[in-house]
Amino acid sequence: MAKNNMQQRRAILKGAISASTLALVAASGLLLPRQLLAHWPTDAFNAETVEDALLALLGQAEIADDSKVNFKVGSPPSYAINGASVPFQLESRLKNIERIAILVEKNPFPLAMSLELSPAVKLPIKSMIKIREDSAVIAIIRAEGKLYKTSRFVEVDIGGCG
Amino acid sequence: MGLPRKDRIRAKLKAEDTTVRVLLSHPMHTGRAKNEAEQLIPAEFIQDIRCWRNDEEVLSIKCGTATARNPYFSFHLVGGKQGDKITLRWVDNMGAKGIAETVVK
Repeated sequence: MAKNNMQQRRAILKGAISASTLALVAASGLLLPRQLLAHWPTDAFNAETVEDALLALLGQAEIADDSKVNFKVGSPPSYAINGASVPFQLESRLKNIERIAILVEKNPFPLAMSLELSPAVKLPIKSMIKIREDSAVIAIIRAEGKLYKTSRFVEVDIGGCG
Repeated sequence: MGLPRKDRIRAKLKAEDTTVRVLLSHPMHTGRAKNEAEQLIPAEFIQDIRCWRNDEEVLSIKCGTATARNPYFSFHLVGGKQGDKITLRWVDNMGAKGIAETVVK
């Protein structure tokens, strides 16, 4: 009986070891990036309209317009000479922001980036995006389960999505 | 790959908060541009960026092709102290990876 138990124990141990090695291999990045990046929201980034992108990314497209967001695109605001790198700045008085999505309406794939924030992150956030032609740039903020949308129209001299 | 790439990251304590600025070195090809020989340049762009303060994950950014070349980000972290370690890792669609680390000044 004791021997039997011992054998069982070995089998379990073996199983546990191989499972943990597998986890290690996966964690060390030896697997293909496609598998590792399974959480990259492909559908959202490949969506061709703003609504589709939002549905794929956030699972909802119902949005409250809001004035608590300060969103600047281009420099000077609303204008960009080169669409290949247009700076934006996003600031807000909203609390508990969980997620931010930046979309460019007229781009072939509107979703430009999606940020997930922990409570330790504070706005303003700045970055740069590409804009193909004169277009509305939309910032969606999700805070406490609600979506807030702010939109700015930007004129672009040279399109930047080549 | 070509020229050596260098990712830059700076973190500074200002008043109560930490300001982090990141400049990654990446071509961010969208897959739609053509080279001199009129051939399409294949897509190559950063997809995932993650940022840690000490051991706490604070920010995760998913990028599409519409993120500009040599991506730049600037954001603030609540609180913090000098000597905090800020780590940032990125992965692109080809599987290339990068890491940038700094200490809050």
